[in-house]
Amino acid sequence: MQRPLNRALAAAALALALASTAQAQVGLTSTTATVTLNATKTSTLTVTPTTSTATLASITDNSNANNFSNTALTTSWNLTSGTTVRLVGWFGTPASALANGAALIPSTNVEGGINGGGFTAFTGAAVGGVGVAGGTLQLFSQGVAAINYFSSRVDQLNLRLNLVGFPTTTAGLYTGTLNVAAVVQ
Amino acid sequence: MHYRVGRMAGLGLRFLAPGVLLMLGAPDAKAQAGTISAAQVIALAATKTSQLTVTIGSGAVQSIPSLTDNAVNLFPTPAVITTSWDVNPGQTNTVDLMAWFTTPAQALTGGSTQIPSSRVLGRVTTGLPVAFTAITENAVGGIGTAGGSLRLFSQNISGPTKKASRTDNLELEIDLVGFATLAPGTYTGTLNIQAVTQ
Repeated sequence: MQRPLNRALAAAALALALASTAQAQVGLTSTTATVTLNATKTSTLTVTPTTSTATLASITDNSNANNFSNTALTTSWNLTSGTTVRLVGWFGTPASALANGAALIPSTNVEGGINGGGFTAFTGAAVGGVGVAGGTLQLFSQGVAAINYFSSRVDQLNLRLNLVGFPTTTAGLYTGTLNVAAVVQ
Repeated sequence: MHYRVGRMAGLGLRFLAPGVLLMLGAPDAKAQAGTISAAQVIALAATKTSQLTVTIGSGAVQSIPSLTDNAVNLFPTPAVITTSWDVNPGQTNTVDLMAWFTTPAQALTGGSTQIPSSRVLGRVTTGLPVAFTAITENAVGGIGTAGGSLRLFSQNISGPTKKASRTDNLELEIDLVGFATLAPGTYTGTLNIQAVTQ
């Protein structure tokens, strides 16, 4: 009489043990692994011209009425520090800003400005390490602070040849390259 | 003389008494032969603990050296995830691998700027999100956060697969198309990876 009872009790105990094990498996979770994500946004400073060519159809000797077609320059920046954004234009070799074979026009006879604000020759020193001595012109200096660390501006670049007092030029096509870059200081 | 006789008799009784007792007990012993006591049972319970682990073999640290605004920025290498399990198939239907951010609105942070999990996409070509999918799903089996989770795979469990493992590559990207221009700086975040049985 006692034997069947004991067996039943044992079976019940085993069933309970198995049931608790099975319940533990539902919703079993692993430990948490992690993937660390790092993404760096670097400061940016760009200058983009609307056109890469400025032209002057006909040079007039001994005159400053030699205006090239205007070019718009968009300067954009996204910064975390600095006080000034400067736009600088320069010629790589000031003595031969434009050349027509052996006929040269130096940077002293090339003048620039922005937004109709007047002309100045490209004869300055480098600005913030940008440009070359005697062939550089700062086109603008824009103050920046936290309020405008992310901003941009568009300027019209005016260029002309000032040939007043310059020897008569040789007929032909004069070409040159004006470099434009911005620098944060 | 009487004393010596009495002492001898006493010694004889000491030797004879056990033999007499044995003879008296012998009939009882014969009567108990073949008698069996009631059986007692001892219940045995041995538990095999289920196992479920996730390890990241490589790619535990993901880096984009230069984020580009208004563009999709792909992390260059995947996170290689190995999931291993040893479970009771009678009690387990699936093993699910989840990825989630604790705070979806701030999946990556850099200073006062946050990149939400809706801008962080993942894919597992051997799993469920075979195409890049935003980490904006809800928790599964209690694992994950609402709006900041992504189920990477759901592995059916049966007898043959009750004890197995698999390795998957999780590729990640940050989609900044249409997102506000980010301030320069480093943005960091932690993506949690965890498996759960259901």
